[in-house]
Amino acid sequence: MNLPAQLSYAVGYGLVGKAALWRQRRKDERAILARMRQPSGQLLAPPLLSSARMKELMSRHYLQARYATGVRKVAWVTSGAPVEILQALGFLLIYPENHAALCGARRKAVDMCVEAEHAGYSRDLCSYARTDIGTVISGKAPITRIPKPDLLLCCTNICQTVLYWYRVLAHHFKVPLIVIDTPFLFEEAQAHQIDFVKQQLEEAIPVAEQVAGRTLSFPTLKDVVHAGKRASELWLEVLNRAQHRPAPITAFDGFTNMGPIVDLRGEPETIRFYETLLAEVDRRIETGVGAVANERMRVLWDNLPIWYRMGWLSGLLAQRGVSIVASDYTYAWGELAPMMDPDRPIESAARVYLHPILNRSTGNKLHSMRRMAKDFQCDGVILHSDRSCKPYSLGQIAQRDWLANEVGVPAFLLEADHSDSRAFSEEQAGNRLEAFIELMEARG
Amino acid sequence: MQIPTRTDAIAIARQRGDRIAGVLPIHYPRALLRAHGVQPIEIWAPPRQDPTAGNAQFQAYACAIVRHGAALLLDGPGRDVDVILVPHTCDALQGLGSVLLDFIKPRQPVLTLYHPRGRRQADRLFLERELRRLGDRLQAVTGRQPGDAELHAAIDTEEAANERLARLCLRQSPAALSDRERYTLVRSREYLPAETFITLVDARLPERQEDAGRPAQDGARRPVRLMLGGIVPEPMSVFDAINGMGAAVVADDLACGSRRLYKRTRGPDPYARLADSLMSGPPDPTLGSPIAERAEYLTTRMRESGARGLLVYDVKFCEPELFDLPQLRDRLSAERLPMLHVEFETATTIAQQTLNRIEAFVEMLQ
Repeated sequence: MNLPAQLSYAVGYGLVGKAALWRQRRKDERAILARMRQPSGQLLAPPLLSSARMKELMSRHYLQARYATGVRKVAWVTSGAPVEILQALGFLLIYPENHAALCGARRKAVDMCVEAEHAGYSRDLCSYARTDIGTVISGKAPITRIPKPDLLLCCTNICQTVLYWYRVLAHHFKVPLIVIDTPFLFEEAQAHQIDFVKQQLEEAIPVAEQVAGRTLSFPTLKDVVHAGKRASELWLEVLNRAQHRPAPITAFDGFTNMGPIVDLRGEPETIRFYETLLAEVDRRIETGVGAVANERMRVLWDNLPIWYRMGWLSGLLAQRGVSIVASDYTYAWGELAPMMDPDRPIESAARVYLHPILNRSTGNKLHSMRRMAKDFQCDGVILHSDRSCKPYSLGQIAQRDWLANEVGVPAFLLEADHSDSRAFSEEQAGNRLEAFIELMEARG
Repeated sequence: MQIPTRTDAIAIARQRGDRIAGVLPIHYPRALLRAHGVQPIEIWAPPRQDPTAGNAQFQAYACAIVRHGAALLLDGPGRDVDVILVPHTCDALQGLGSVLLDFIKPRQPVLTLYHPRGRRQADRLFLERELRRLGDRLQAVTGRQPGDAELHAAIDTEEAANERLARLCLRQSPAALSDRERYTLVRSREYLPAETFITLVDARLPERQEDAGRPAQDGARRPVRLMLGGIVPEPMSVFDAINGMGAAVVADDLACGSRRLYKRTRGPDPYARLADSLMSGPPDPTLGSPIAERAEYLTTRMRESGARGLLVYDVKFCEPELFDLPQLRDRLSAERLPMLHVEFETATTIAQQTLNRIEAFVEMLQ
């Protein structure tokens, strides 16, 4: 630890930064409350009051990261990585995917993608990866400055892309890369697959301990797993509240409020945040407030969001009384909560991290979509054919056909990319969405 | 001796009483299939296959190996195979395997194999168990349960064929065989039984023959020596085009070629040998090899072979290939070894634009 860095951390983050973010939250809350007091007639309900708290939490996380160099060990991790071990060792965790999503939402991603493309990275690669690599290569900070990693942790349970991407990062930063390889589950998980992941987790511990400069405390690990499990349960409860009619939240609220469950899972304040959010959603149910004012049709969303067109999409759908009530993407961070066992942290992690929806078969995903379409009483399914995400997207043609022909739920493929707006045509997408809504209307 | 075609190989295997497996790229245990009486016939984006049936299942941003491969299995000669094996090579082949299993549900059994992305002891142990699982599935399909002696014999035969493949790939001089002849022979490993492949290579390129090639004719300019990288060189006329530009392929880093130069193995347990073999190949991005390791390997191979440049000739949308390229280019550039990357859409002809870029690269190296 170096003293100037610690001083800078204490002042920049601990004193000034946190206080400034607290003030900003209060200001945001007042603005939301003012919108709530406005006469009704809006297509969409005002933002959730909790979203101001979410913004503060995430901003604090990134602010802390900004001052972390020389104070805390930093690990860059994939969004499905078994982070509990690193959290228990005191690492500050950075999720390049989350940062890339933020860049996408704030329309900064394309600039970073172009930086990567100029360095030779193909435009056919994942736009999250290009955004991150572009940021690293250019040294630019489109949102905020991200500290360099001391350790990289890559888990292949969301895609193989992250393996190639993190090899690029490891080569660039010259830091250790831990790979947790999770065999894809074409069918139910088998003993040798679980053993394989467990063995890798066990072997990762000494590597992470060496970088952290401390020994893993199993009681601390147990606490982290417990907190992560509780937060995941709460997250799932929040999402399931959209089964009510009218739905108190939409998938867009889910996309907006998923930051803490991805980035801050295992932190006590994440639990508090989702408790608050759940209470607010319950108040909406009690008072009959729907996220879409005139909810006529309910739709399930498949795949990542189109970060740079969320406002346009939610507005267009709300005009027609369509509420996207659920998403299998946001659900992924909640549905595995029952598998987490704080008393068996490594063994249960091996099972948990083998089972994300993206590490399971296309048939399993169809099964999830069918179940969700039924539970959330959906009139249709929008499958975002995401050029950047092959594991999520390949199989969607068959899934769409099955949903439409075998299950009887209208479904359609919306061509886009989660962060690269150059792969999206608003006019074309709007026309196709209109036609899809008419199809749902015709079916009554 | 003529190189048999895939059709010939299938007919001969059928006469022998073998079953036929349609196998997707890249790495799999040939010996395990053979010991179960199954002849693997590999499917690598056949350019003459109409991809319509594959396009109906997969988006346009899936690579041609997936779209053409699916079309071949659904609407081409692949319909007649007895079993399909999809190694988990990448996200795209994962999608193909999963859609086959869950939606298309062809009449043939669909088997999968997960190859771990590292070379740690945990990877090695997992692979051994994964191969045993595959062996059990093959037994269920074929009703055959080969003993250890049969498995060892099959492994020995495949390893002998691997040595012939190494002879073809590692001792390349421009004129002993034309590039197209050499790589037609290399690629016959994709469907010929090891025994036939060994006989063919021994006839064309005997072990003791100096592979120095025919001397260049007086006044003829020596060809520019290239290393060819990528997944699969389709169409094969790319070699004629390269030769026509005054260049020759003297080394390769092709997934269908040198990346499958597995080493000889030993030991009492056949499944351990199979795992050791599959993990003994050169660095491969689909197996998670570190970029520095790949760069080192490529540099060494280029120095050994006298290659003056690396031509990476990639099927479009191949993510494992694309990620490494900028850092590989930097490293090779530091060694004064230029690299060109071009992409192709599988077809029976090569786009003139692609040929122009290759020609400019060759001219630069001259």
